Amino acid sequence: MTTESPYWNPRHETMPRDELEALQVRKLSNLIEWSTSQVPYHSKRLNDAGVTSDSITSLDDLQRIPFMTREEWMQGQLDHPPYGPILAAPEESAIRYHLTSGTTGKTPIRVLDSMKDWEWITEMWCYGFWGFGVRPSDRVFFAFSYGTFVGFWGAHYACEKMGCLVLPGGNMTTEARVNQIMDMHATVVCSTPTYALRMAQEARAMGIDLANGPVERLILSGEPAGSIPATKKLIEEQWGAKAGDTAGMTELGTIMMFECDHQPGGAHIIEDHYIEEVIDPGSGEPVAYGEPGERVVTSFGRGFIPVIRYRTRDLVLKVPGSTCGCGRTFDIYDGGIRGRVDDMKLVRGTNVYPRAVEAIVREYEAIDEFQIHLYTAEGIRDEIELLVEVPDKNVDAEGLCAELAKTLAEAHEGLRFHVKQAPDESLPRFELKAKRVLDEREVVGGHGERKQA
Amino acid sequence: MQNAIGQDLNPVQQELMACYDNLARVLADHDDELAPFEKRNALKALAALWQVANGLDMDRGQTYHLGA
Repeated sequence: MTTESPYWNPRHETMPRDELEALQVRKLSNLIEWSTSQVPYHSKRLNDAGVTSDSITSLDDLQRIPFMTREEWMQGQLDHPPYGPILAAPEESAIRYHLTSGTTGKTPIRVLDSMKDWEWITEMWCYGFWGFGVRPSDRVFFAFSYGTFVGFWGAHYACEKMGCLVLPGGNMTTEARVNQIMDMHATVVCSTPTYALRMAQEARAMGIDLANGPVERLILSGEPAGSIPATKKLIEEQWGAKAGDTAGMTELGTIMMFECDHQPGGAHIIEDHYIEEVIDPGSGEPVAYGEPGERVVTSFGRGFIPVIRYRTRDLVLKVPGSTCGCGRTFDIYDGGIRGRVDDMKLVRGTNVYPRAVEAIVREYEAIDEFQIHLYTAEGIRDEIELLVEVPDKNVDAEGLCAELAKTLAEAHEGLRFHVKQAPDESLPRFELKAKRVLDEREVVGGHGERKQA
Repeated sequence: MQNAIGQDLNPVQQELMACYDNLARVLADHDDELAPFEKRNALKALAALWQVANGLDMDRGQTYHLGA
Protein backbone atom coordinates (compact mmCIF):
# COMPACT_ATOMS: atom_id res chain seq x y z
CA MET A 1 0.00 0.00 0.00
CA THR A 2 2.73 2.43 1.04
CA THR A 3 4.50 2.60 -2.31
CA GLU A 4 1.16 3.15 -4.06
CA SER A 5 0.04 6.04 -1.86
CA PRO A 6 0.54 9.54 -3.23
CA TYR A 7 0.80 10.71 0.37
CA TRP A 8 3.60 10.15 2.91
CA ASN A 9 1.08 10.06 5.76
CA PRO A 10 -2.25 9.37 4.03
CA ARG A 11 -4.45 9.75 7.10
CA HIS A 12 -3.04 13.09 8.19
CA GLU A 13 -2.72 14.59 4.73
CA THR A 14 -6.36 13.95 3.90
CA MET A 15 -7.80 14.50 7.37
CA PRO A 16 -11.01 16.56 7.53
CA ARG A 17 -10.26 20.08 8.67
CA ASP A 18 -12.14 19.80 11.96
CA GLU A 19 -10.12 16.71 12.93
CA LEU A 20 -6.91 18.34 11.79
CA GLU A 21 -7.61 21.38 13.95
CA ALA A 22 -8.43 19.13 16.93
CA LEU A 23 -5.06 17.43 16.39
CA GLN A 24 -3.33 20.81 16.30
CA VAL A 25 -5.01 21.91 19.52
CA ARG A 26 -3.89 18.75 21.29
CA LYS A 27 -0.33 19.14 20.03
CA LEU A 28 -0.30 22.82 20.97
CA SER A 29 -1.36 21.96 24.50
CA ASN A 30 1.43 19.36 24.72
CA LEU A 31 3.94 21.88 23.37
CA ILE A 32 2.92 24.48 25.97
CA GLU A 33 3.26 21.90 28.73
CA TRP A 34 6.70 20.79 27.52
CA SER A 35 7.99 24.32 27.00
CA THR A 36 6.70 25.58 30.34
CA SER A 37 8.28 22.73 32.24
CA GLN A 38 11.64 22.75 30.43
CA VAL A 39 12.44 26.28 29.27
CA PRO A 40 12.39 29.09 31.85
CA TYR A 41 12.33 31.64 29.02
CA HIS A 42 9.08 30.20 27.67
CA SER A 43 7.72 29.53 31.14
CA LYS A 44 7.98 33.21 32.08
CA ARG A 45 6.50 34.48 28.82
CA LEU A 46 3.60 32.05 28.95
CA ASN A 47 2.93 32.54 32.65
CA ASP A 48 2.96 36.32 32.23
CA ALA A 49 0.33 35.91 29.51
CA GLY A 50 -1.74 33.53 31.62
CA VAL A 51 -1.25 30.67 29.20
CA THR A 52 -1.21 27.13 30.56
CA SER A 53 -1.51 23.83 28.72
CA ASP A 54 -4.94 23.25 30.28
CA SER A 55 -6.19 26.58 28.99
CA ILE A 56 -5.60 25.63 25.34
CA THR A 57 -8.96 24.39 24.10
CA SER A 58 -9.19 25.81 20.59
CA LEU A 59 -7.02 27.47 17.97
CA ASP A 60 -8.47 30.80 19.08
CA ASP A 61 -6.30 30.41 22.19
CA LEU A 62 -3.27 31.05 20.00
CA GLN A 63 -4.09 34.73 20.15
CA ARG A 64 -3.30 34.75 23.88
CA ILE A 65 0.25 33.52 23.28
CA PRO A 66 2.90 36.23 22.84
CA PHE A 67 4.92 36.32 19.64
CA MET A 68 8.54 35.17 19.51
CA THR A 69 10.83 37.32 17.38
CA ARG A 70 14.20 36.81 15.81
CA GLU A 71 15.49 39.86 17.62
CA GLU A 72 14.64 38.28 20.98
CA TRP A 73 16.29 35.05 19.91
CA MET A 74 19.48 36.83 18.81
CA GLN A 75 19.56 38.90 21.99
CA GLY A 76 19.09 35.73 24.03
CA GLN A 77 22.13 34.24 22.33
CA LEU A 78 24.19 37.34 23.10
CA ASP A 79 23.08 37.32 26.75
CA HIS A 80 23.43 33.56 27.19
CA PRO A 81 25.90 32.31 24.61
CA PRO A 82 26.09 30.24 22.57
CA TYR A 83 22.43 29.14 22.19
CA GLY A 84 20.44 31.49 24.37
CA PRO A 85 17.97 30.46 27.08
CA ILE A 86 15.84 28.36 24.77
CA LEU A 87 17.11 24.78 25.01
CA ALA A 88 14.61 22.29 26.36
CA ALA A 89 17.06 19.39 26.61
CA PRO A 90 20.69 18.97 27.72
CA GLU A 91 23.31 19.83 25.10
CA GLU A 92 24.80 16.36 25.56
CA SER A 93 21.81 14.78 23.82
CA ALA A 94 22.38 16.81 20.64
CA ILE A 95 23.86 15.23 17.54
CA ARG A 96 23.62 18.16 15.09
CA TYR A 97 24.59 21.82 15.10
CA HIS A 98 23.51 24.28 12.42
CA LEU A 99 23.45 28.01 11.77
CA THR A 100 21.19 30.36 9.86
CA SER A 101 22.59 31.44 6.52
CA GLY A 102 22.96 35.03 7.61
CA THR A 103 20.74 36.74 5.04
CA THR A 104 18.97 38.68 7.78
CA GLY A 105 20.24 39.98 11.08
CA LYS A 106 23.81 40.33 12.23
CA THR A 107 23.95 37.33 14.54
CA PRO A 108 23.30 33.92 13.04
CA ILE A 109 20.86 31.74 14.94
CA ARG A 110 22.50 28.61 16.33
CA VAL A 111 20.47 25.45 16.74
CA LEU A 112 20.88 21.94 18.10
CA ASP A 113 19.03 18.73 17.34
CA SER A 114 18.86 15.35 19.00
CA MET A 115 18.66 12.02 17.22
CA LYS A 116 14.87 12.03 17.43
CA ASP A 117 14.59 15.63 16.26
CA TRP A 118 16.88 14.95 13.34
CA GLU A 119 14.67 12.05 12.30
CA TRP A 120 11.70 14.40 12.50
CA ILE A 121 13.53 16.93 10.32
CA THR A 122 14.01 14.29 7.65
CA GLU A 123 10.39 13.25 8.06
CA MET A 124 9.22 16.72 6.98
CA TRP A 125 11.31 16.49 3.85
CA CYS A 126 9.77 13.07 3.16
CA TYR A 127 6.34 14.71 3.01
CA GLY A 128 7.69 17.02 0.33
CA PHE A 129 9.66 14.57 -1.76
CA TRP A 130 6.97 11.90 -1.67
CA GLY A 131 4.26 14.43 -2.38
CA PHE A 132 6.11 15.65 -5.46
CA GLY A 133 6.41 12.11 -6.79
CA VAL A 134 9.92 11.09 -5.72
CA ARG A 135 10.12 7.35 -5.09
CA PRO A 136 12.70 4.79 -3.87
CA SER A 137 13.79 4.06 -7.44
CA ASP A 138 14.97 7.66 -7.92
CA ARG A 139 18.56 8.86 -8.05
CA VAL A 140 18.72 12.19 -6.25
CA PHE A 141 21.55 14.65 -6.80
CA PHE A 142 22.17 17.39 -4.23
CA ALA A 143 23.78 20.54 -5.59
CA PHE A 144 24.54 21.69 -2.09
CA SER A 145 27.73 22.56 -0.22
CA TYR A 146 27.05 20.61 3.01
CA GLY A 147 28.19 23.23 5.52
CA THR A 148 26.76 24.65 8.71
CA PHE A 149 23.72 26.07 6.87
CA VAL A 150 21.05 23.39 7.26
CA GLY A 151 19.83 23.77 3.64
CA PHE A 152 19.35 20.38 2.04
CA TRP A 153 20.98 18.37 4.87
CA GLY A 154 17.63 17.03 6.05
CA ALA A 155 16.57 16.34 2.48
CA HIS A 156 19.67 14.20 1.96
CA TYR A 157 18.78 12.00 4.92
CA ALA A 158 15.12 11.96 3.90
CA CYS A 159 16.08 10.47 0.56
CA GLU A 160 18.17 7.81 2.32
CA LYS A 161 15.16 7.01 4.48
CA MET A 162 12.93 6.74 1.42
CA GLY A 163 15.37 4.34 -0.20
CA CYS A 164 16.53 6.60 -3.03
CA LEU A 165 20.09 6.54 -4.30
CA VAL A 166 21.63 9.72 -2.90
CA LEU A 167 24.26 11.51 -5.00
CA PRO A 168 25.94 14.13 -2.77
CA GLY A 169 27.21 17.07 -4.84
CA GLY A 170 29.17 19.09 -2.29
CA ASN A 171 32.54 20.74 -2.97
CA MET A 172 32.21 20.56 -6.76
CA THR A 173 32.34 23.05 -9.57
CA THR A 174 29.16 23.66 -11.52
CA GLU A 175 30.69 21.84 -14.48
CA ALA A 176 31.50 18.81 -12.32
CA ARG A 177 27.96 18.80 -10.95
CA VAL A 178 26.44 18.84 -14.41
CA ASN A 179 28.72 15.99 -15.42
CA GLN A 180 27.74 13.98 -12.34
CA ILE A 181 24.05 14.50 -13.01
CA MET A 182 24.45 13.21 -16.54
CA ASP A 183 26.94 10.42 -15.79
CA MET A 184 24.93 9.03 -12.87
CA HIS A 185 21.58 9.46 -14.62
CA ALA A 186 20.16 11.50 -11.79
CA THR A 187 16.37 11.61 -11.98
CA VAL A 188 15.93 14.26 -9.29
CA VAL A 189 18.07 17.36 -8.66
CA CYS A 190 17.88 19.52 -5.54
CA SER A 191 19.10 23.11 -5.61
CA THR A 192 18.07 26.71 -5.22
CA PRO A 193 16.11 28.13 -8.18
CA THR A 194 19.00 30.43 -9.00
CA TYR A 195 21.47 27.58 -9.06
CA ALA A 196 19.17 25.42 -11.17
CA LEU A 197 19.38 28.17 -13.81
CA ARG A 198 23.13 28.44 -13.31
CA MET A 199 23.58 24.71 -13.93
CA ALA A 200 21.43 25.00 -17.05
CA GLN A 201 23.66 27.83 -18.31
CA GLU A 202 26.73 25.72 -17.66
CA ALA A 203 25.21 22.72 -19.41
CA ARG A 204 24.53 24.85 -22.48
CA ALA A 205 28.11 26.05 -22.48
CA MET A 206 29.25 22.42 -22.24
CA GLY A 207 27.05 21.45 -25.16
CA ILE A 208 24.82 19.26 -22.98
CA ASP A 209 21.12 19.02 -23.79
CA LEU A 210 19.63 18.96 -20.28
CA ALA A 211 16.06 19.07 -21.55
CA ASN A 212 16.52 15.63 -23.08
CA GLY A 213 18.54 14.32 -20.15
CA PRO A 214 17.59 11.95 -17.32
CA VAL A 215 16.28 14.52 -14.81
CA GLU A 216 12.51 14.31 -14.28
CA ARG A 217 12.09 16.48 -11.19
CA LEU A 218 13.78 19.40 -9.50
CA ILE A 219 13.21 20.09 -5.84
CA LEU A 220 13.79 23.78 -5.23
CA SER A 221 14.38 25.52 -1.94
CA GLY A 222 16.11 28.47 -0.34
CA GLU A 223 14.59 31.35 -2.33
CA PRO A 224 11.10 32.63 -3.15
CA ALA A 225 11.78 32.19 -6.86
CA GLY A 226 10.68 28.54 -6.79
CA SER A 227 7.09 29.75 -6.95
CA ILE A 228 7.54 32.69 -9.32
CA PRO A 229 5.73 31.39 -12.40
CA ALA A 230 8.14 32.85 -14.97
CA THR A 231 11.21 31.55 -13.12
CA LYS A 232 9.69 28.13 -12.63
CA LYS A 233 8.67 27.96 -16.29
CA LEU A 234 12.19 28.85 -17.36
CA ILE A 235 13.70 26.19 -15.08
CA GLU A 236 11.25 23.56 -16.27
CA GLU A 237 11.92 24.37 -19.92
CA GLN A 238 15.68 24.36 -19.54
CA TRP A 239 15.73 21.09 -17.62
CA GLY A 240 12.82 19.39 -19.36
CA ALA A 241 11.60 18.47 -15.88
CA LYS A 242 8.94 19.39 -13.33
CA ALA A 243 10.07 21.83 -10.66
CA GLY A 244 8.57 21.72 -7.19
CA ASP A 245 8.95 24.44 -4.59
CA THR A 246 9.66 23.88 -0.91
CA ALA A 247 10.46 26.30 1.89
CA GLY A 248 11.95 25.89 5.31
CA MET A 249 14.02 27.73 7.85
CA THR A 250 16.89 26.96 10.20
CA GLU A 251 14.78 28.03 13.17
CA LEU A 252 12.61 24.98 12.42
CA GLY A 253 15.41 22.80 11.06
CA THR A 254 13.46 21.74 8.03
CA ILE A 255 10.69 22.57 5.59
CA MET A 256 7.19 23.56 6.60
CA MET A 257 5.64 23.54 3.13
CA PHE A 258 5.96 21.68 -0.16
CA GLU A 259 4.47 21.74 -3.62
CA CYS A 260 2.63 18.55 -4.54
CA ASP A 261 2.78 16.97 -7.97
CA HIS A 262 -0.48 18.68 -8.95
CA GLN A 263 1.52 21.92 -8.90
CA PRO A 264 -1.26 24.20 -7.64
CA GLY A 265 0.84 27.36 -7.95
CA GLY A 266 1.81 27.22 -4.32
CA ALA A 267 2.87 24.91 -1.54
CA HIS A 268 0.90 22.87 1.00
CA ILE A 269 1.61 23.62 4.66
CA ILE A 270 2.48 20.50 6.68
CA GLU A 271 -0.31 21.20 9.11
CA ASP A 272 -0.10 18.06 11.20
CA HIS A 273 3.31 19.31 12.38
CA TYR A 274 2.86 23.06 12.33
CA ILE A 275 0.36 25.80 12.93
CA GLU A 276 0.89 28.53 10.37
CA GLU A 277 -0.85 31.85 11.00
CA VAL A 278 -0.93 34.84 8.67
CA ILE A 279 -1.05 38.23 10.35
CA ASP A 280 -1.03 41.89 9.45
CA PRO A 281 2.62 42.79 10.06
CA GLY A 282 1.62 46.16 11.46
CA SER A 283 -1.20 45.28 13.83
CA GLY A 284 -0.36 41.64 14.51
CA GLU A 285 -3.99 40.73 13.87
CA PRO A 286 -4.86 37.64 11.80
CA VAL A 287 -5.84 38.18 8.17
CA ALA A 288 -8.35 36.13 6.20
CA TYR A 289 -7.74 33.57 3.47
CA GLY A 290 -6.64 35.31 0.30
CA GLU A 291 -5.11 38.31 2.05
CA PRO A 292 -1.35 38.83 2.13
CA GLY A 293 0.40 38.98 5.45
CA GLU A 294 3.31 37.80 7.57
CA ARG A 295 3.85 34.12 8.40
CA VAL A 296 3.84 33.17 12.05
CA VAL A 297 4.86 29.60 12.81
CA THR A 298 4.41 27.21 15.71
CA SER A 299 6.28 23.92 15.37
CA PHE A 300 5.39 20.68 17.09
CA GLY A 301 8.39 18.73 15.87
CA ARG A 302 11.65 19.90 17.34
CA GLY A 303 11.41 19.41 21.06
CA PHE A 304 14.98 20.59 21.64
CA ILE A 305 14.10 24.19 20.75
CA PRO A 306 10.38 24.89 21.06
CA VAL A 307 9.23 27.46 18.51
CA ILE A 308 5.94 29.06 19.48
CA ARG A 309 4.30 31.83 17.44
CA TYR A 310 7.56 32.84 15.80
CA ARG A 311 7.32 35.87 13.53
CA THR A 312 9.15 34.93 10.37
CA ARG A 313 8.91 38.22 8.37
CA ASP A 314 8.00 36.08 5.35
CA LEU A 315 5.21 37.44 3.15
CA VAL A 316 2.56 34.86 2.25
CA LEU A 317 -1.02 34.49 1.08
CA LYS A 318 -2.94 31.49 2.39
CA VAL A 319 -5.72 29.73 0.48
CA PRO A 320 -7.66 26.57 1.40
CA GLY A 321 -6.19 23.19 0.50
CA SER A 322 -9.35 22.44 -1.45
CA THR A 323 -8.09 24.76 -4.20
CA CYS A 324 -5.72 21.93 -5.17
CA GLY A 325 -6.97 18.72 -6.71
CA CYS A 326 -4.49 16.43 -4.96
CA GLY A 327 -6.85 15.49 -2.14
CA ARG A 328 -4.78 16.99 0.65
CA THR A 329 -6.66 19.07 3.17
CA PHE A 330 -3.51 21.00 4.09
CA ASP A 331 -3.86 24.70 3.31
CA ILE A 332 -1.68 26.27 0.65
CA TYR A 333 0.57 29.28 0.51
CA ASP A 334 -0.38 30.52 -2.91
CA GLY A 335 2.77 31.62 -4.69
CA GLY A 336 4.92 30.11 -1.93
CA ILE A 337 6.96 32.58 0.07
CA ARG A 338 6.30 35.86 -1.70
CA GLY A 339 9.24 37.71 -0.22
CA ARG A 340 10.10 39.34 3.05
CA VAL A 341 8.09 41.91 4.93
CA ASP A 342 11.22 44.07 4.89
CA ASP A 343 12.14 43.27 1.26
CA MET A 344 10.16 46.13 -0.15
CA LYS A 345 12.10 49.10 -1.45
CA LEU A 346 10.53 52.51 -1.59
CA VAL A 347 11.83 54.33 -4.67
CA ARG A 348 10.54 57.86 -5.23
CA GLY A 349 7.30 56.94 -3.50
CA THR A 350 6.75 53.68 -5.39
CA ASN A 351 6.92 50.27 -3.75
CA VAL A 352 9.35 47.92 -5.50
CA TYR A 353 9.41 44.24 -4.57
CA PRO A 354 12.44 42.29 -5.82
CA ARG A 355 10.22 39.25 -6.43
CA ALA A 356 7.95 41.27 -8.74
CA VAL A 357 10.95 42.53 -10.67
CA GLU A 358 12.28 38.98 -11.04
CA ALA A 359 8.89 37.80 -12.27
CA ILE A 360 9.15 40.28 -15.13
CA VAL A 361 12.85 39.78 -15.88
CA ARG A 362 12.40 36.00 -16.16
CA GLU A 363 9.96 36.52 -19.02
CA TYR A 364 13.03 37.38 -21.08
CA GLU A 365 14.81 34.10 -21.68
CA ALA A 366 17.83 35.84 -23.19
CA ILE A 367 18.73 37.28 -19.77
CA ASP A 368 21.16 35.01 -17.96
CA GLU A 369 21.64 36.99 -14.76
CA PHE A 370 20.54 40.31 -13.34
CA GLN A 371 21.04 42.71 -10.46
CA ILE A 372 18.84 45.46 -9.02
CA HIS A 373 20.98 48.44 -8.11
CA LEU A 374 19.66 51.33 -6.05
CA TYR A 375 21.73 54.47 -5.71
CA THR A 376 21.48 58.15 -4.89
CA ALA A 377 21.80 60.57 -7.79
CA GLU A 378 23.09 64.10 -7.26
CA GLY A 379 23.03 63.51 -3.52
CA ILE A 380 19.26 63.73 -3.27
CA ARG A 381 17.36 61.43 -5.61
CA ASP A 382 16.68 57.70 -5.47
CA GLU A 383 17.41 55.89 -8.70
CA ILE A 384 16.94 52.27 -9.64
CA GLU A 385 18.83 50.50 -12.34
CA LEU A 386 18.66 46.97 -13.55
CA LEU A 387 21.84 45.37 -14.83
CA VAL A 388 21.28 42.41 -17.13
CA GLU A 389 23.57 39.94 -18.83
CA VAL A 390 22.54 39.03 -22.38
CA PRO A 391 25.25 36.68 -23.64
CA ASP A 392 23.63 35.66 -26.93
CA LYS A 393 25.15 37.95 -29.56
CA ASN A 394 22.21 37.28 -31.87
CA VAL A 395 19.86 39.04 -29.47
CA ASP A 396 19.22 42.78 -29.82
CA ALA A 397 20.30 43.59 -26.28
CA GLU A 398 19.67 47.31 -26.66
CA GLY A 399 16.10 46.69 -27.83
CA LEU A 400 15.57 44.16 -25.05
CA CYS A 401 16.73 46.65 -22.40
CA ALA A 402 14.41 49.32 -23.75
CA GLU A 403 11.44 46.95 -23.82
CA LEU A 404 12.19 45.66 -20.33
CA ALA A 405 12.46 49.21 -18.96
CA LYS A 406 9.05 50.00 -20.43
CA THR A 407 7.48 46.84 -18.97
CA LEU A 408 8.97 47.49 -15.54
CA ALA A 409 7.76 51.09 -15.55
CA GLU A 410 4.25 50.00 -16.52
CA ALA A 411 4.21 47.57 -13.61
CA HIS A 412 5.47 50.21 -11.15
CA GLU A 413 3.26 53.26 -11.59
CA GLY A 414 5.54 54.72 -14.25
CA LEU A 415 8.70 54.51 -12.13
CA ARG A 416 11.76 54.91 -14.36
CA PHE A 417 14.09 51.90 -14.36
CA HIS A 418 17.47 52.33 -16.03
CA VAL A 419 18.04 48.96 -17.68
CA LYS A 420 21.63 48.41 -18.80
CA GLN A 421 23.49 45.51 -20.28
CA ALA A 422 26.27 44.23 -18.03
CA PRO A 423 29.33 42.44 -19.43
CA ASP A 424 28.95 38.65 -19.60
CA GLU A 425 29.79 36.83 -16.34
CA SER A 426 30.27 40.16 -14.52
CA LEU A 427 27.33 39.81 -12.11
CA PRO A 428 27.55 37.61 -9.02
CA ARG A 429 26.41 33.98 -9.23
CA PHE A 430 24.87 32.20 -6.28
CA GLU A 431 24.70 28.64 -5.06
CA LEU A 432 22.61 29.33 -1.98
CA LYS A 433 20.34 32.28 -1.39
CA ALA A 434 20.70 34.83 -4.16
CA LYS A 435 21.29 38.45 -3.20
CA ARG A 436 20.36 40.42 -6.29
CA VAL A 437 19.53 43.73 -4.65
CA LEU A 438 22.38 46.16 -4.13
CA ASP A 439 21.09 49.16 -2.19
CA GLU A 440 23.73 51.88 -2.12
CA ARG A 441 21.42 54.80 -1.49
CA GLU A 442 22.52 57.53 0.84
CA VAL A 443 18.93 58.66 1.13
CA VAL A 444 16.24 56.05 1.48
CA GLY A 445 12.79 56.68 0.20
CA GLY A 446 13.39 60.07 -1.34
CA HIS A 447 12.07 61.91 1.71
CA GLY A 448 15.39 62.96 3.17
CA GLU A 449 15.55 60.03 5.55
CA ARG A 450 19.25 59.35 6.01
CA LYS A 451 20.44 55.79 5.81
CA GLN A 452 21.60 54.46 9.17
CA ALA A 453 25.31 53.79 9.42
CA MET B 1 -5.57 0.32 21.29
CA GLN B 2 -6.65 3.89 20.60
CA ASN B 3 -4.56 6.92 19.73
CA ALA B 4 -4.74 10.32 21.41
CA ILE B 5 -7.64 11.47 19.28
CA GLY B 6 -9.74 8.38 19.97
CA GLN B 7 -9.09 6.41 16.79
CA ASP B 8 -8.43 2.69 16.80
CA LEU B 9 -5.07 1.43 15.63
CA ASN B 10 -5.17 -1.59 13.35
CA PRO B 11 -3.27 -4.76 14.37
CA VAL B 12 -0.19 -3.93 12.30
CA GLN B 13 -0.01 -0.43 13.74
CA GLN B 14 -0.38 -1.91 17.22
CA GLU B 15 2.59 -4.17 16.53
CA LEU B 16 4.69 -1.19 15.54
CA MET B 17 3.71 0.57 18.74
CA ALA B 18 4.68 -2.51 20.72
CA CYS B 19 8.12 -2.37 19.08
CA TYR B 20 8.50 1.26 20.11
CA ASP B 21 7.32 0.69 23.66
CA ASN B 22 9.56 -2.36 24.12
CA LEU B 23 12.56 -0.50 22.79
CA ALA B 24 11.87 2.49 25.05
CA ARG B 25 11.48 0.15 28.05
CA VAL B 26 14.74 -1.67 27.36
CA LEU B 27 16.61 1.61 26.99
CA ALA B 28 15.09 3.00 30.18
CA ASP B 29 15.50 -0.09 32.36
CA HIS B 30 18.66 -1.72 31.04
CA ASP B 31 20.76 1.18 29.87
CA ASP B 32 23.82 0.06 31.85
CA GLU B 33 23.67 -3.49 30.54
CA LEU B 34 23.86 -2.58 26.88
CA ALA B 35 27.05 -2.74 24.87
CA PRO B 36 27.78 0.39 22.81
CA PHE B 37 26.58 -1.24 19.60
CA GLU B 38 23.37 -2.35 21.30
CA LYS B 39 22.63 0.98 22.89
CA ARG B 40 23.44 3.29 19.98
CA ASN B 41 21.62 1.22 17.40
CA ALA B 42 18.63 0.86 19.71
CA LEU B 43 18.56 4.64 20.18
CA LYS B 44 18.67 5.21 16.43
CA ALA B 45 15.83 2.76 15.95
CA LEU B 46 13.87 4.45 18.73
CA ALA B 47 14.31 7.85 17.06
CA ALA B 48 12.90 6.40 13.82
CA LEU B 49 10.03 4.56 15.50
CA TRP B 50 9.12 7.70 17.42
CA GLN B 51 8.16 9.17 14.04
CA VAL B 52 5.77 6.26 13.54
CA ALA B 53 4.22 6.80 16.95
CA ASN B 54 3.92 10.51 16.27
CA GLY B 55 2.37 9.91 12.86
CA LEU B 56 -0.18 7.59 14.45
CA ASP B 57 -1.01 10.26 17.06
CA MET B 58 0.25 8.22 19.95
CA ASP B 59 1.56 10.57 22.61
CA ARG B 60 4.84 9.15 23.75
CA GLY B 61 6.40 12.38 24.99
CA GLN B 62 10.05 13.21 24.37
CA THR B 63 13.07 10.92 24.19
CA TYR B 64 15.91 13.10 25.43
CA HIS B 65 16.05 11.40 28.83
CA LEU B 66 16.82 8.16 26.99
CA GLY B 67 19.54 9.80 24.92
CA ALA B 68 17.64 10.16 21.64
